Amino acid sequence: MSRGEGVFRKIGENYGVLILVLVFTVIGSNILQPGILSLQNVSSMITFGVEIGLIALGETLVILGGGGGIDLSVGSMYAVSQVVVGLLAQRNVNILLAVAAGLATGVAMGFVNGLLVTRVKIPAIITTLATMYAFSGVALLLTDGIDVSAFPASYSFIGQGLIGGLPAQFVLLYIPAALLLWIVLSKTVYGQQLYLTGTNQLAAVLSGINVKQVRMWTYVITGFLTAVAGVVDSSRLVTARPDAGATANLAAITIAVLGGTSIFGGKGSVWGTAIATLVITLVSYSFSLANINSVIETGTIGGVLIVVILFQGYLARWFARGGRVSVKA
Amino acid sequence: MSLLALQNISKAFGGTQALSSASIDLNAGRVHAIVGENGAGKSTLIKIIMGVLQPDAGQIVLDGKVAAITTPSEARRLGFSCVYQEPLIFPHLSVLENIFIGHPVIDRFGNFDTAVMREKALPIFRSLGLDPDILPVSISKLRLGYQQLVLIAQALVYDSRLIMFDEPTSILSGAETDHLFDVITFLRQSGKAVVYISHRLEELLAIADEATVLTDGRVVGHTDRSELEPERLLALMAGKATRDYAGSAEQRKQAVQHEGTPVLSVEHLTLDPLFRNVSFSVHQGEVLGLYGQVGAGRSEVALSLFGYLRPKSGTVRLRGQEVRIRSPRQAIAQGIGYLPEDRKLQGIFSFQSISSNLISTVLPRLAGPFANIRWREVAKVVNRFRTDLNIKMGAPGDPIISLSGGGQQKVMIARWMAVNLSVAILDEPTRGIDVVTKRDLHDLIRSLAEQGLAIIVISSDLPEVLAVSTRIMVMNRGSIVASYEEVTDALAEDILGAAIGMPAEEEAQ
Amino acid sequence: MKPLAVATQSIGNQPIDQSLQTGKRSVRYETILLVIVALVVVIIAIGSHGNFWSSSNLTSLLVDAAITAVPAIGMTMVIVMGGIDVSIGSVVGLTATVAGLAFEQNWPIALVVLLTLATGAIAGLINAWFIASRKLPPIIVTLGTMSIWRAVVYALLGGNWISTIPMTLTAWFVLDKLWIIPWSFVLTVVLVLIAAYMLRRRPMGRHVYAIGSNEEAASVLGLPTKRVKYMAYVSLGALTAIAALMTLGQSPLVQATTGSGFELDVIAAVVIGGTSILGGRGTVIGSLLGAILTQLISDGVILFQIQPFWNGVVTGAMIIIAVIMSLLNQRGAAHE
Repeated sequence: MSRGEGVFRKIGENYGVLILVLVFTVIGSNILQPGILSLQNVSSMITFGVEIGLIALGETLVILGGGGGIDLSVGSMYAVSQVVVGLLAQRNVNILLAVAAGLATGVAMGFVNGLLVTRVKIPAIITTLATMYAFSGVALLLTDGIDVSAFPASYSFIGQGLIGGLPAQFVLLYIPAALLLWIVLSKTVYGQQLYLTGTNQLAAVLSGINVKQVRMWTYVITGFLTAVAGVVDSSRLVTARPDAGATANLAAITIAVLGGTSIFGGKGSVWGTAIATLVITLVSYSFSLANINSVIETGTIGGVLIVVILFQGYLARWFARGGRVSVKA
Repeated sequence: MSLLALQNISKAFGGTQALSSASIDLNAGRVHAIVGENGAGKSTLIKIIMGVLQPDAGQIVLDGKVAAITTPSEARRLGFSCVYQEPLIFPHLSVLENIFIGHPVIDRFGNFDTAVMREKALPIFRSLGLDPDILPVSISKLRLGYQQLVLIAQALVYDSRLIMFDEPTSILSGAETDHLFDVITFLRQSGKAVVYISHRLEELLAIADEATVLTDGRVVGHTDRSELEPERLLALMAGKATRDYAGSAEQRKQAVQHEGTPVLSVEHLTLDPLFRNVSFSVHQGEVLGLYGQVGAGRSEVALSLFGYLRPKSGTVRLRGQEVRIRSPRQAIAQGIGYLPEDRKLQGIFSFQSISSNLISTVLPRLAGPFANIRWREVAKVVNRFRTDLNIKMGAPGDPIISLSGGGQQKVMIARWMAVNLSVAILDEPTRGIDVVTKRDLHDLIRSLAEQGLAIIVISSDLPEVLAVSTRIMVMNRGSIVASYEEVTDALAEDILGAAIGMPAEEEAQ
Repeated sequence: MKPLAVATQSIGNQPIDQSLQTGKRSVRYETILLVIVALVVVIIAIGSHGNFWSSSNLTSLLVDAAITAVPAIGMTMVIVMGGIDVSIGSVVGLTATVAGLAFEQNWPIALVVLLTLATGAIAGLINAWFIASRKLPPIIVTLGTMSIWRAVVYALLGGNWISTIPMTLTAWFVLDKLWIIPWSFVLTVVLVLIAAYMLRRRPMGRHVYAIGSNEEAASVLGLPTKRVKYMAYVSLGALTAIAALMTLGQSPLVQATTGSGFELDVIAAVVIGGTSILGGRGTVIGSLLGAILTQLISDGVILFQIQPFWNGVVTGAMIIIAVIMSLLNQRGAAHE
């Protein structure tokens, strides 16, 4: 296999579906809503996309780490952290301190997930399913189910402000986060360790890598990122909602998988996730513009998830056969 | 006419020839022993008979007609059963269910007819000497020896004509072994064809009607009961080893000086039931060959030294200082390295590049001030090993799977050479590797020792152990049974004998 | 032929490894559950000053338990085989919607029931195709179908409610009683007993446990793995449809959010009932007790006038505790 062929195969196998879906979505959204890719619309889209984009970055890390890693509780952590900020702001706590507390809460929840998965060794599906409901309950309890809106005016900058014409959350938060994670994954020791752990857990242990700690960090980082996303969301709406993020886990997992992250670990990238975020945000936005209910939108994303994972399987087998249609032997 | 005949069967995996033109005749009412070291091709043979693998060449003749055994279900339908070393059971089901799960007897309502199944099982249980009271018990509660008997019952219930045993006694006590032999005698008398695979020659004397010796995938000998002498079999098995070894005798005439504190010293290391009371030491510049059959406990000892398993008792000293190593990370920090036995499962990161695979053990060392990996340094390191070890590869960033088996193994070894080691434990370093690379690796091992490394080579390949070691230790059933301070060709048979539990002709040093 | 000596005599030891019999294991998990249920009943009854025993409370408790326990039968089989299904909440919505729409068209009730069951079964079939035939991970597939069915419900309802549900359902499932026990609960017990019997006595039932115990050995021995998995998911779908009908009996209303979050209740019931997440172990009777226990706690929350938001927290915590205990149990028994 020549170098060129090898590269083609690698990109095709991991990102083939993404590229197809991207093209399909761009064309489709233009048909649905002509002119959707205007500058104004794109700016709006970015505003929405940052939140799920941050969460998806975290989810990517967790799934990358392998061993059945997944985080279903991201939506609930998103809600709890914004609620914490909101309630503190309501009690006239300095907004910066309130935000810091919210972020710390996110880290703490991520830590709980990480602890249960890596130390107590409860499978991630069950752990994060349970914490999803538990954390959601906490958000409702703290607020009695009522939205919290007592934020200082300055708070809205993060979610509504502009820097150089681009949304503030994008410039201040998403770009740095994505860049930082990209550097971590591709250039640092931790990033290497994460890829190795996800590829072959046993070999990683035998190479002296602390697999437990590597995976623990993915859950903690995810908790932090969901908290940041929660701050962005509550800033944009100037309201902290305890029922926010109900469908965030589905969207985050779909984005991660669409972006080339293998559900078994060891494969995935910030690039892929970022582009996939774009795609899913485009889908959501065009649905909103076309006044399609968000429930339908979520259903579509579910459909995308299944189609993506189905076709990734087909693609992998197609490439394994050398790119030819199989001949029944 | 034989029940099943394999004629000139060949099978290759990647670069290695697991079986070359092997032929064997299996007859009803006879116990046919298959003898050979690990890697000799025995398990490949079983897998072909059980339909798990297909031969590359040769033919299978069943009841006089050419046949193909395409799937495991097919093999079972043809009446072939195999009792593996590790009983293949459904731990959550009862004994009765385990026996009948593939072939349940159903009453007219469509339910499990427990009564009828019991009745079918009773005579078989009687023949095997099993108490029918265990039928409703969950099989995971039985001792391994009894689980094995249940699997034999399963084979009999399926009306198997050919029953194979793969190293059955490795999990049995002495009394259980005797009982197993009674059972095998019963099977023979019932007209079954029995295949008995074992490296324990003394057992064959007790029950085999004939024996086929496999070495390196070839049938090197076949004896009938009348000529069944352990010494003769031993000679057949060892013969090739002696021939192979003769060439490299000159290379290690210098006796290695064992002065001063040993680099590694192990005292009474025990982890029941895997290994017991293991004591030995290794000095700088030594290559200690640890020989034995699979299940002897060698890898387990290595994994304990490496911190992956925790021994129940015993002391480990590095350069005289006692150490407690609780994880591979700590082991590496102390200068102990371990090259795993199964590179595919335990070593290779198949999605990553050659570089990533090579530096997995030394990532922190190749990092800059922000924990950033200095990829240029990495490339230098990789290229250095590429030249030193003569690895045929493209660029360091190429995927590891683009390399041959031999190339991958060299990268695995380079992974450990990159670490500042005092002790290197290599577990089956040349398994599945082509001959040329094998020789390269042996030379490498010797040169590493000359540079001062203390090396332990675990191997089931007798020529390899003889070629590369300056001292040899033999393990059998979890204990060290023999130790040789000097390596000469005459030792081949002794070593083999010790590994399989036979008393040596002369006193071993 | 010389008769073989009896193995125990010639070998000199017992076939059963005594070290694997710990004291705990001799008491069945279901018995412990039953004791806990009884205890909780006592606590709640006392704490609520006897309100627990009121006819309305008992009825709603038993109906709730029935609604959770019926799909738990199917979920037990799915989880024993190492899978999971988080889409059943949406399937409740789907089947309830289909039933509601049929009722609006004045279909005879027998036909509606059939249609509803069929819908549930088809939803299960679709899951099974992706999971057993295409071999995709169950969590991902069911996450996807969960949202798809929810969208279908919304599309079918068009933002409206359906309230033209005949009272027959309510009569059947809630009002009519065998002594003081609603027929829905009686039906549940019957279904559980039938399922327990089939899982114990029928080959396909034993195959469920075999596959959960050692899937590799199961394929090697030629067991019909795919067929068994299909059976489990399709049954789960049909049983979910029954639960949907019971729900309609309890509150004759279908809206877009009907069934939301239901999957947690069922999974909690199964896990608390002793089914191991790692597969191979679990009983439908345990799941029934688990369903009763979870609904008891819910009921207690209401009776003690604790905020309903505590439900999620408590259920989540109970799942974690149940799994930890199950893991401890398994690891304890594995020590030689």
